Amino acid sequence: MPAPSPAQATATRSDRPVVEIRDLTKRFGGFTALDGLSLSLDRGQILGFIGPNGAGKTTTIKILVGIMRPTSGSARIAGADCVTEARRIKRLVGYMPDTFGGYDAMRVREYLDFFGAAFGIPARARRQRVDEVLETTGATPLKDRFVESLSHGMRQRIGVARTLLHDPEVLILDEPANGLDPQARIEMRELLLRLAGMGKTLIVTSHILPELARICDVVAMITQGKLRAFGGLDRIMREIRQSRTVEVQLCDAGHVEAAAGVIRDGLPEGERGAVGVHPAEAMVRFDTAGDDGDLARLLGALVAARLPIAQFREVPKDLEDAFLSVTAASGGAA
Amino acid sequence: MTTVLGRELLAILRSPRAAAGLVAVALACVAVVLVRWPADGVADLSGTTSRGVLALFAWGLLACVLLLAPAFAAPSIVRERLRGTLMLLFNSPIHPWAIYAGKFLAILAFVAIVLAASLPAAAGCLALGGVDPWRQVAMLYAVLFLVAAQCVAIGLLVSSRTGGTDAAIRVTFAAVFALVFVTLGPRFLTQGQPGPAALVADWLRRLSPLPPVLEITGTTAGGAPGLAERGSALPPFFAAGGLLLAGLVAATLARFDHRIFDRARDAGKITDDQSLAVRSARRLFYLVDPQRRSAGIPSWLNPVLVKEFRTRKFGRLHWLLRLAAGCAVVSLLLTLAATSGTVAWGVETIGGLLVLLQVALVVVITPSLASGLVAAEREWGGWNLLRMTTLSGVRIALGKLGSVLWTVLLVLAATLPGYLMMITIKPTMASQVTLALVSVLLAVAMSIAVSAAVGSFFSSTTAATVTVSLVLLVIYLVPMGIWAFRDDPFGHAFVETALKATPLAAALAAIRMPGFTGYDLTPGAWWVAGTVTLAGLAVFALRIRRLLQPE
Repeated sequence: MPAPSPAQATATRSDRPVVEIRDLTKRFGGFTALDGLSLSLDRGQILGFIGPNGAGKTTTIKILVGIMRPTSGSARIAGADCVTEARRIKRLVGYMPDTFGGYDAMRVREYLDFFGAAFGIPARARRQRVDEVLETTGATPLKDRFVESLSHGMRQRIGVARTLLHDPEVLILDEPANGLDPQARIEMRELLLRLAGMGKTLIVTSHILPELARICDVVAMITQGKLRAFGGLDRIMREIRQSRTVEVQLCDAGHVEAAAGVIRDGLPEGERGAVGVHPAEAMVRFDTAGDDGDLARLLGALVAARLPIAQFREVPKDLEDAFLSVTAASGGAA
Repeated sequence: MTTVLGRELLAILRSPRAAAGLVAVALACVAVVLVRWPADGVADLSGTTSRGVLALFAWGLLACVLLLAPAFAAPSIVRERLRGTLMLLFNSPIHPWAIYAGKFLAILAFVAIVLAASLPAAAGCLALGGVDPWRQVAMLYAVLFLVAAQCVAIGLLVSSRTGGTDAAIRVTFAAVFALVFVTLGPRFLTQGQPGPAALVADWLRRLSPLPPVLEITGTTAGGAPGLAERGSALPPFFAAGGLLLAGLVAATLARFDHRIFDRARDAGKITDDQSLAVRSARRLFYLVDPQRRSAGIPSWLNPVLVKEFRTRKFGRLHWLLRLAAGCAVVSLLLTLAATSGTVAWGVETIGGLLVLLQVALVVVITPSLASGLVAAEREWGGWNLLRMTTLSGVRIALGKLGSVLWTVLLVLAATLPGYLMMITIKPTMASQVTLALVSVLLAVAMSIAVSAAVGSFFSSTTAATVTVSLVLLVIYLVPMGIWAFRDDPFGHAFVETALKATPLAAALAAIRMPGFTGYDLTPGAWWVAGTVTLAGLAVFALRIRRLLQPE
C-alpha cells in the first residue's frame, strides 16, 4: 500500500477522532471499575460524562490523563497513547480534578505563573499567557487575591484558567459546576461554550444534568463501569422517548375514573396497567409507546366521551429522565 | 461535656497512632526493667541499679508525654473547625467550656492510659529496691501528669488560634520545646546575679519539668550547669506549672466561641496599586515589601523550589530575613556572654551551646519544612496537578529538597558570626570550629534526608510531621540520653558507639564541649551520618518516582 502524501496524512489525521477509547478495562483486585468502555470524540465537541458515584468516571479520566494504567484496552488523545506517551499527553490535555489543589500563601498570579513554569513556558510568554487565561475565564480581577481566600466559584474559574495555560487540545473537567451558585453556574456554562468555540475538545463530568444538557454535543452514560448509552443528545432522547408520559388534566375530579376508562380502552393491552388516576389533582397520567397519531386518536375518544378536558399534554423528558431510565435498566446506582 | 469527652476519647483510642504509642510505651517500659533485672541471683542492695532504671524510665516517660500530648492536642480544634464539625458543636446545646473540657480531658485521659501502661514497669522498679514509692515514683507520675496537662493546654490554645493543622502542630511543638528547654536559658545567663532579671529567670526556670525530674531521679546530667537548685525543685514547679496551666486554659476559653470562625478573607492588597505616598512609606519601612507584586519565576530557577518558598508563610524573603536576623542576634549574644567575663564557662562551652542552638534549630525547623514536602501535596490535591505537568521527578525532588536546604542553611549561616568571634578570641579553635561545622552540616543533610524520606510515606501532613519529629528526636535524643547516663549504667565504649549515631555529638566533641572530650567520634559519626543521608535521599527519590508513576 503506498504511503499517504503529507496532505493526505494531515487530512487523515484531522479526520480522526481526538479522543479514542477502545475496550478500556480497569480492575482493582476482584473489583471491575471499568468494563470494556469504548467511545470516541471529535474535535471541538463537548462530551457530557454522566454516571452515579463510583460508576467509573474518574477512573476513565485518570486513564485518559495518564495517571492510571488500564488493565486492558487502549485510550488515545490526538493520536497519543495515554499509557506509553504520558509526557505527550500532558501537553495535549488540560485536567481539572474535582479537588482544586490550591497552595496557601500564594496569589492567583503566582499560582498560575508556577504552573506555567512547570509546563516550561518561557518567562516572558508566560506573563502574557497568564493574562490571557485570566481574561478568558473572566478572572482578571482576582489576579492579586490569595488562592486560599477565593470562594468556590472563583476557584473553579482559576482551575479552568490553570488547565488552559499550556493551550491543550483537550480539556477534561471533573465536576466544574459542582457547588456553584446559579449565577456562577451560568457563567461557567458560558465559559465552557466559549472554550468549545475556540476549538477545544471538552470532556465534562457533572451531576447537574440540566447544565450538561445545555452545553453537550455528545453524552456518555456509564454505570458499574459499563457504557450504557452514548451518542448525541437527540439520539439518546429519542431512545428514551420510546416510552412517553402523557397527562390528562380534567376540569372536574369527578370525571377522572371515566377518563381513565376511555384511556385504558384506547391503549394496547400491555400499557393499560400504567394508567394512574390522581383524583386530588383531577388528573390521569399514563405511559405509552404510541406515536403522535395514536395520541390524537386517544384525545378524540376523550372528547367524544364529552369529558371536560382542560389539558392533554406530553410530559417533556430531559437528560435526568434519560439518566434515571439508564440507571434503572442497569440495576440502579453503583 | 461527657458527650464530647466520650467521642474524643473513642476517636483517639481508635487511631493507629494511639495504639502504636501505647504498645511502644508498654514494650519499652518492660524492656527497661527486664534488661536491668538481676539475672545471677545477686541482689543490688545499694539501689544503684533500681535508680538507674528509674532514671531511664522517668526520662523515657517524659519524652513520651512531650511527644504524645501535643500531637493529639494540636490538631484537635483546628481540624474540627476546618471540617465544619466545630460549627455543629457550637450550634448544639453543649456550652463552649464543656466542649473544651471534653477535648482537654479526653486527651489527658489517653495520656493517663499511656502512663498506666507503664505502671507494671514502675512496680518492677520498686521491686528492685532502693526507690522510694512516694517521694520518687508517685511524685514522678504527678510531675508527668502536670506536664501532660500543660502540653494539652498549649496544644488546644494554639489549635484554637491557627489556620491549619500542620501549622498548629509546628507551633505547638515549638511552644513545648520552649517550655521545656528555652525556659532554662535565662537562668544560664543570670545565675548568681542579683536583681529583677535574675528573679524573672528563676521563675521561668520553674516552668521547665527538667529540674524536678532530675531531682526525682537523683541524676546530675553532665553539661547542665544551673539545673540544680538549692531547695527542692518540686513545690516551685507545681506552683508555677499550675499557674501556667490556669493561664493557658483561661486564654483559650476567652476566645472559644463564635469568634473562632471570624476569619476575614484577604483582599489581596498590592503595594504596586497604592498611592505614591504609601509606596514610598512602605519602601522606607520594608527591606523586602511582602505586599509587592512578585516577578514571574525566572526560567533558570526550578519552579518547584520557588513554589515551596512562596507557599510557606515564613518562606517569603521578608520572613527569612527576620529569622536569620534573630539567629544572628542570639549567636552574638552568646558570644558576648563569653567575652564579657560575667560567665565563667569558657569558649568551648559557648561553642557547645552554639552547636546545640544550631542543631536544635535543625531539629525544630526541618520536620516542619521537610515532612510535608510530598504529604501536603497529596493531602490537598496538588500532587495530581504536579503529575500532570511536564516536570520530571528529578526536578520535583531537587526543588523540594533545595527549598528546605536553603532555608536551614540560611538560618545556620546566621549563627556563624558567633563562631567567627570565637576564633578571633581564641585562634587555636579554628580547626575545632571547622570540624564542628562539618558535623553540623552533616546533621542538616541527615535531618533533611530522613525527614523527606519518612514524610513521603504519608498522605496527611499531620501524621507526617508528628512521625518525622518523633524519628528525629529519637535519632538525636536517644544517644544523648545514653550519654547522660555514662559510666552508670552505660560503659564508655557503649556510650561512644551510641554517640556515633548522631552528628550532634560529633560536633560537641569536636568543639571540646565539657563532657564530650573523652570520645573519639570523627570520622565514625560522619560515616554514619553520610550513610543515613544517602539512604534517606535514595528512599525519597524512589518514593517520588513511585508516586509519579501511573497507578
